[in-house]
Amino acid sequence: MARMKFLCDADRCIECQACVTACKNEHEVPWGINRRRVVTINDGLPGERSVSMACMHCDDAPCAAVCPVDCFYTTADAVVLHSKDTCIGCGYCFYACPFGAPQYPRVGNFGTRGKMDKCTYCSGGPEADMSQAEYVKYGSNRLAEGKLPLCAEMCSTKSLLAGDGDIIADIYRERVVTRGYGSGAWGWRTAYGETISV
Amino acid sequence: MVQTLLKRAATLFAVVALVAFAAPELAAQQINPTESSVQEEQLMRALQSGEAVSGRITIPDARAGDLIKPDNKNWAATHGGTVKTVNVVAILGMLALLVGFYMYRGKIRIDSGPSGRTIQRFNAVERFAHWLLAATFIILALTGLNLLIGRAVILPIVGESAFGTISAWGKIAHNYLAWPFMVALVIVFVAWVLHNIPNRLDIEWLKKGGGLFTKGSHPPAKKFNAGQKLIFWSVIIGGAALSFTGVMLLFPELAGTSAQWQLYQVIHAIVAGIMTAIIIAHIYIGSVGMEGAFDAMGSGQVDVNWAKEHHSIWVEEKLAREGRPAPSSGGAAPQPAE
Amino acid sequence: MLVKRKQGEAARGRLASMAAGIATKTIDRRSFLRNSGLAVGGLAALGTINAGMTRQAEAGPTDHSRPIERRKNICTHCSVGCTVIGEVQDGVWVGQEPAWDSPINRGTHCAKGASVRELVHGDRRLKYPMKKVGGQWQRISWDQAIDEIGDKMLEIRERSGADSAYLLGSAKFSNEGAYLFRKFAAFWGTNNVDHQARICHSTTVAGVANTWGYGAQTNSYNDIRNSKTIIFMGSNAAEAHPVSMQHILTGKEEQRANVIVFDPRFTRTAAHATDFVRIRPGTDIPVIWGIMWHIFQNGWEDQEYIAQRVWGMDQVREEVAKWTPDEVERVTGVPEAQLRRVAEKFATERPSTFIWCMGGTQHTVGTANVRAYCNLLLATGNVGAMGTGANIFRGHCNVQGATDFGLDIGNLPCYYGLAEGAWRHWSRVWDVPYEYFVNRFDAVPAKGGRDPRTPEQNMNVPGIPSTRWFDATMIDAEEVDQRDNIKAMIVFGHGGNTVPRMADAREGMNALDLLVVADPHPTTFAALHERTDNTYLLPICTQFECSGSRTASNRSVQWGEKIVEPIFESDNDYAVMYRLAKKLGFADEMFKPYEMVQGKFSEEPTPESILREINRGGWSVGYTGQSPERLKAHMANQDKFDLVTLRAPADAGDVGGDFYGLPWPCWGTAEFRHPGTHILYNPNVPVKDGGGAFRPRFGLERDGETLLAEGSWPPESEIEDGYPQFTMGVLKRLGWDADLTPQERAVISRIGEFDEEKIDAVSWSLDLSGGIQRVAIEHGCVPYGNGKARAVAWNLPDPIPVHREPIYSPRPDLVADYPTREDGRQFRMPNIGHTIQQSVVDRGLHESFPIVLTSGRLVEYEGGGEETRSNKWLAELKQDMFVEINTRDAESRGITDGGWVWVNGPEGNRARVKALVTERVASGTAFMPFHFAGWFQGEDQRGNYPQGTDPIVLGESVNVVTTYGYDPVTGMHEGKVTLCQIESA
Repeated sequence: MARMKFLCDADRCIECQACVTACKNEHEVPWGINRRRVVTINDGLPGERSVSMACMHCDDAPCAAVCPVDCFYTTADAVVLHSKDTCIGCGYCFYACPFGAPQYPRVGNFGTRGKMDKCTYCSGGPEADMSQAEYVKYGSNRLAEGKLPLCAEMCSTKSLLAGDGDIIADIYRERVVTRGYGSGAWGWRTAYGETISV
Repeated sequence: MVQTLLKRAATLFAVVALVAFAAPELAAQQINPTESSVQEEQLMRALQSGEAVSGRITIPDARAGDLIKPDNKNWAATHGGTVKTVNVVAILGMLALLVGFYMYRGKIRIDSGPSGRTIQRFNAVERFAHWLLAATFIILALTGLNLLIGRAVILPIVGESAFGTISAWGKIAHNYLAWPFMVALVIVFVAWVLHNIPNRLDIEWLKKGGGLFTKGSHPPAKKFNAGQKLIFWSVIIGGAALSFTGVMLLFPELAGTSAQWQLYQVIHAIVAGIMTAIIIAHIYIGSVGMEGAFDAMGSGQVDVNWAKEHHSIWVEEKLAREGRPAPSSGGAAPQPAE
Repeated sequence: MLVKRKQGEAARGRLASMAAGIATKTIDRRSFLRNSGLAVGGLAALGTINAGMTRQAEAGPTDHSRPIERRKNICTHCSVGCTVIGEVQDGVWVGQEPAWDSPINRGTHCAKGASVRELVHGDRRLKYPMKKVGGQWQRISWDQAIDEIGDKMLEIRERSGADSAYLLGSAKFSNEGAYLFRKFAAFWGTNNVDHQARICHSTTVAGVANTWGYGAQTNSYNDIRNSKTIIFMGSNAAEAHPVSMQHILTGKEEQRANVIVFDPRFTRTAAHATDFVRIRPGTDIPVIWGIMWHIFQNGWEDQEYIAQRVWGMDQVREEVAKWTPDEVERVTGVPEAQLRRVAEKFATERPSTFIWCMGGTQHTVGTANVRAYCNLLLATGNVGAMGTGANIFRGHCNVQGATDFGLDIGNLPCYYGLAEGAWRHWSRVWDVPYEYFVNRFDAVPAKGGRDPRTPEQNMNVPGIPSTRWFDATMIDAEEVDQRDNIKAMIVFGHGGNTVPRMADAREGMNALDLLVVADPHPTTFAALHERTDNTYLLPICTQFECSGSRTASNRSVQWGEKIVEPIFESDNDYAVMYRLAKKLGFADEMFKPYEMVQGKFSEEPTPESILREINRGGWSVGYTGQSPERLKAHMANQDKFDLVTLRAPADAGDVGGDFYGLPWPCWGTAEFRHPGTHILYNPNVPVKDGGGAFRPRFGLERDGETLLAEGSWPPESEIEDGYPQFTMGVLKRLGWDADLTPQERAVISRIGEFDEEKIDAVSWSLDLSGGIQRVAIEHGCVPYGNGKARAVAWNLPDPIPVHREPIYSPRPDLVADYPTREDGRQFRMPNIGHTIQQSVVDRGLHESFPIVLTSGRLVEYEGGGEETRSNKWLAELKQDMFVEINTRDAESRGITDGGWVWVNGPEGNRARVKALVTERVASGTAFMPFHFAGWFQGEDQRGNYPQGTDPIVLGESVNVVTTYGYDPVTGMHEGKVTLCQIESA
């Protein structure tokens, strides 16, 4: 099975936010929940780079480690998913996540959280693939349809890459060799304990 | 951790200042944004403890501006490591101690046997506050512990679905019962604080180990002996710490940065573990560990002999205030009722 | 890690469901949406997202067990022309899929394109026709709306003349819609018809067409992959044309290309440049002359190219010589070394391309700026080959098409200028006598000492530009050079907040006798004013709810297929124009060539039949080969086209050998199968393969020098030199007339009214048979001729571009040296820029308003922004209008990032916005985006929108603060330079 990863080539990212709205569109993600976002570092300065970020589907995901109810699981494609039926909205995963991926609707008591929502790598949740129940809780399941996450598929400059880690690392490596520069595989060291050497 | 925060702020400011002042310099030179682009490796290397690689974001959620915060994994590790260990060690350790103590000392009897005469030790308000505090604490402790070790202990037994349900209810219970806990804590504090101010007697009491380890040894004490004072202050300080950090955890906006939230969480969990251990000891001594102790919080009426052994000065003062004769010290025979 | 598919979740116990219910609800998207209202606080509006209005259809999960239909359309936002694939189930658009096959976007989108599905299930659309009665919006029927609007228009026509009704069209129209609207104006009898090109690239069209022939992007987005040096000037493609950056950044990487960005602001495009040059706003000409100074100084110019293909470069050289590095730095702030480096790269590391947008065009010197850019390209030989060119990125999805079809005060469709010959040409195409139109136009009385005009003369006088319509409602009637002031605005798909001086526009709206807004969303035209009556809103559907073709910036024409039926009571442009024409009494004449079908509420013409009419008449610009069948074949065979050359291989069936979208000129008839022209003026390939040359439009010689090319011609040309345009007479002289078929000959004779002299004068652009074009191309020749580009455009106010300070200049010392042009009259209106500039200096406004304010685009929003600000997926990303202010300026004013500020304009107007403190802008410069409206000088106007149609995000418009200033050639406004002061609010 493939080891699915995301890679944002910041030298291509122009902060167009297509990944963000594609995600909203595909899963009808409500206002206030940002499964994916774009952060601009050194805004307005010559070193400025933007990076699109969502759940990186880490190796040894820290969210899964801290979850009191063990609602996370990793699929055969190495996608980190969770069960909203088990989730209690404690918020631990948010504080464990190095990427700010977990999101919570504010429906709980004392202004606290509802059930966690995050990027599913467009592969739904524990319910039957492509079922109505799955869609309502997690959004659509593109992986089950044989497609990749829509954010990456629609990325305007093909900056955001999704797919098997080895393949996208090769694509990135090739780009860096071609153009002679690369600001790095953002988040890879933190998520996968490795980076892409060129 | 607070220091780290301050340090981080200072560094950030320095970086911003540096860049800001460097910019006009650049204007005269060639500005090549491709060459001067930030590098992930560089930023990650420069990160101080608790810092994040962060930038500008347009959505209102300011925390979303943190792009990569590797330290969150440290918190996760602390949570699963130190915090869990402290809790497990404290609680299991205390249980082991008590079992050992019980085996060594057995139930501490009233040396002179029950007198059959009682005096009121705690009034209804005091008892209500105590039991409110006790009940909420127990539930809070159990539901809290569930978050920490439930998935290792309970989940395998009851299964995922039931465990999810238990935990969801547990979270609700924890969030709501925190408030009566805090109310009880305040009442208890107000009611007993004056009696819990340490004095010279306490040193004596402590020197003798409260007489717990020697049969027949009963160092004098007022309403509360040093051991109880220790419990009192543990509960007040620990409870205050739990309350404060708990409120912060309930309202993350109040907590400030996520590093602060994490700090509060770690404090909350460790203090809770230690508190639980202390309270287990308290429960022990108030129930199976000592004859006659439970009545103080049960009916509020304690046997005079018990009282004389453990709170001799308090008994004298109380009886004197009530105009009753001071019982002779260590008097074995029951006094006739007046 | 554990790999598991969790079991048993569906069979949760009753307890579990209860807990879930009580504790924290399982995320159900609709309850999420409701809850989100609570979370947004200040954006109370969101609470009503789901409330109230009935939805046409709920979009929900796709049912994978039943068939899903995929329909292809084109994104309705910028001009890149991204293909959108809609997945439709039961008539509901349920999903969007990447359009991998499109050579333009290859599956990708920007934030807007990736969220277009929202447009057709957006609750904030205008649901049904409405009118204002006593200040309140009331729902009315289409019949009533058309009836009342028609009656009022006829009454105004009676009273004040046809020119008093202003027909403001849209770059959001399909080609067929744009063409129909222009035709509608002709039948109504006015040249007061315009659209967004006026405020985006009118100066480009004027400047470029006056240089080498046609006013369009010469190459394509894809072709930039071939460039070795790329200059962006006043273009922030990363935000305005994000998908184009796919080609540009790939090109940059593969070619190791130089990417040089000139901008007052460090934009997201600049972040990916190899060179960023910060300039003072409004100093493009000195910058260009500064670059060319180094080029001429070092002999880097392409002398052979200039000799063969350019006229007048020596005169430019003289002007350039005045711009020494010192003077350039004094005026623009750019140091010598930077410009020298840029000059060397651009001239020597070729092919080089020059990209510009509104940073260049929206100025009082917009046309001159464009002309300067062209001169830089010509001097370095960078037009008419792969990787070169004037890559003008246009703004709206069909602003190129709408421009092509003459939605313009000065043209008939396909750039047939306002002249008798053009009117007669279109009369023939429309099958209506020329005299019919003469009768429709007003006679203009002698006013203000000007000569009177007959209707026939008035037909050939350009109308009032859309930037000035409000002046024309309020100005003294003597001053307006038409029968009367403007009394009615008929606004189709056009915002009211993208033109400066909104306070005046508001007064203008108040003064109108009739205001009609036909749009999917109520625009600023619906909400800004204080009107109580005679104001109508007509719900028009988006291009996703009807079919038609649209022309991308690179001139590729793409056919969009209706994805879903128009939602609510909205209807398409074709039907509404038909109903209005019928009410006004000219539908029978106007619509007779079309195939009529039953539409949603009425009969409507099919877009295919309108396109066929365009094919019959669009000879001048080569809009004749793009038949509906060919366009549809292109959409169906997108995968056949090469990513870089945009050409399909010869054996690719229906589209074999074609360039994608048959970019115009696509000569001759569809049967002639010209492949379209990927790169304009390209003499490196035969004309039949998309080759060409500069178009000799301005005579054959000037000052004793030839205006025809010398020593340059496309391969296979049988004339190996320059030549003029082809006419029947030219064919005869060459003996090529024998190649004409009898049918072609018959058509030409009919056009020449069977008069030998007139027949000889029938040109390639008037010949309805296409024979002249066919024969010329078969002999390897360009139908319009082979001429030189003009470095000097003697017919323009400044034949060689001259630097002129903005009206509101921060530098009075430079105003003295480089004043704006003298006051004058253009487009039926006075232009008093010079008087105002003097007054600005006299009042010392640069001291009290020390910050230069410029404006621009955001990626999330587009145009006036009502549509995009109503899209919840986009609106969430930019919830507040803001001003970018430099860190130092903010600090000295006590302004903090995210705090409220007042931006005070020099003429007393002000805007309350949030501060974005950033180094993107330099100290002394501020930037505001132009997509916001709905607040006016601190007043929240949400209540002015009909209930439930107010955009989610409202904010001040930058144009509340912007000021006077108009380009003399096109009436373009000054949108990029004014003065302001900013204070903490």
